[in-house]
Amino acid sequence: MTEKELIAKLHQLKRIKPSQNWIILAKNRILEEEQEEHQVSGLFSLFLKPVLSGVFVFIMIIGIFAVSQDSLPGELLYPLKKITERSRALLLARNDLPRYELEKANKRLKEISRMVQEDGTAEPLKKLDPAINEFKQNVSRAVKTLAKVQATSSDPFLLKKIVEETKKLEENKQKVEQLGIAVGQTEELNSVLANIAAREIEQLKTAVLSQEQMELFGAAKQEYDNRDYGKALEYILLLSYPQLQNNKDDIMGK
Amino acid sequence: MNQKKAFSKIYDRYIDKIYRFIFLKVNSQPIAEDLCSETFLRCWNVFKAKNPEIKNAPAFLYQTAKNLVIDYYRKKARAGTIPLENIQLIDQKADLEKQIVFASDVNQVKKGLAELKDDYQNVIIWHYLDGFSIREVGQLLGRTEGNVRVLLHRALKELKRKLG
Repeated sequence: MTEKELIAKLHQLKRIKPSQNWIILAKNRILEEEQEEHQVSGLFSLFLKPVLSGVFVFIMIIGIFAVSQDSLPGELLYPLKKITERSRALLLARNDLPRYELEKANKRLKEISRMVQEDGTAEPLKKLDPAINEFKQNVSRAVKTLAKVQATSSDPFLLKKIVEETKKLEENKQKVEQLGIAVGQTEELNSVLANIAAREIEQLKTAVLSQEQMELFGAAKQEYDNRDYGKALEYILLLSYPQLQNNKDDIMGK
Repeated sequence: MNQKKAFSKIYDRYIDKIYRFIFLKVNSQPIAEDLCSETFLRCWNVFKAKNPEIKNAPAFLYQTAKNLVIDYYRKKARAGTIPLENIQLIDQKADLEKQIVFASDVNQVKKGLAELKDDYQNVIIWHYLDGFSIREVGQLLGRTEGNVRVLLHRALKELKRKLG
């Protein structure tokens, strides 16, 4: 065989080829793996990314609202704090509103104390004005809702909380006033508590009471005469609702 | 997307050559298909990872194919012959007589080619089957044109000797 003949035979080997079907299949298989990744990432982009973005935004919002709870009047996130408080109010039962308004009033007083103590002086008063106004509004709302609450018909534990919040209110109010900030009077609140206490005392005068209950009733009347209507109500609640006996020592001041 | 296009061009240009290159070494269509697929898959992975353009695509493809064939032979014994039905030399619709005659001729040359040492085998495949110039074969082998000419001459001489 000559070299030329050999080369001619070698050229025949050029006919060794893969099938066209296999060529296409193999190519698609190689590139489909990339396409599948893109599809997955495409799916990710199409569905998961917006969902995850939404979740992230939601978490951010929750985080911002959480951080806002520590904000003070005049700060950027304070309005968010107010929105949170108003939202919570919408979920409360009607009888629980007085307690809630008193809680908010106490919060305002604590905010005022913080602002003054962090600032070191009674300035800036302009920043305190919104908090003071809020406090007054909270007290006013508490009074309105409380006036509609009948002490005997409402939840004793709830009423007890109202009394506790009222007590805290007085204490916080004193603290703020000691810092040189006047937040106004809470006579309206005292008046409502006085009315409730007076009504209860009148009803209990005709009731048959045990020795212990008689003691508590006597203490209630004494506190009422001393214009400590909150304390009077606490004694009344104690003798009217024995399930509150666990708190007797606190109430009796021991 | 540009990467895919560039890779597709490389694939379309070299798929026949790489397949034939591997087929002539392993004597099996299924195995040639598997190793050929693997060769281009590895090429695609490198393509994606490194550069939009592999500077010397044929060199990369042939080197990868060679390595895969070596790996294959590490696992299996080298086949001396290959059943005719496993050779797909022409289109399925081709004349049966031509197919048989062709297969016989090709089988003889192929067998002789398969018995050459790798360098001889490769240089013959690249120059006479794949159509690479002497210079291009030199680039694939990493040798000068002069060396390639000498190598080619020796390869043909050896093949002639084997074919009698």
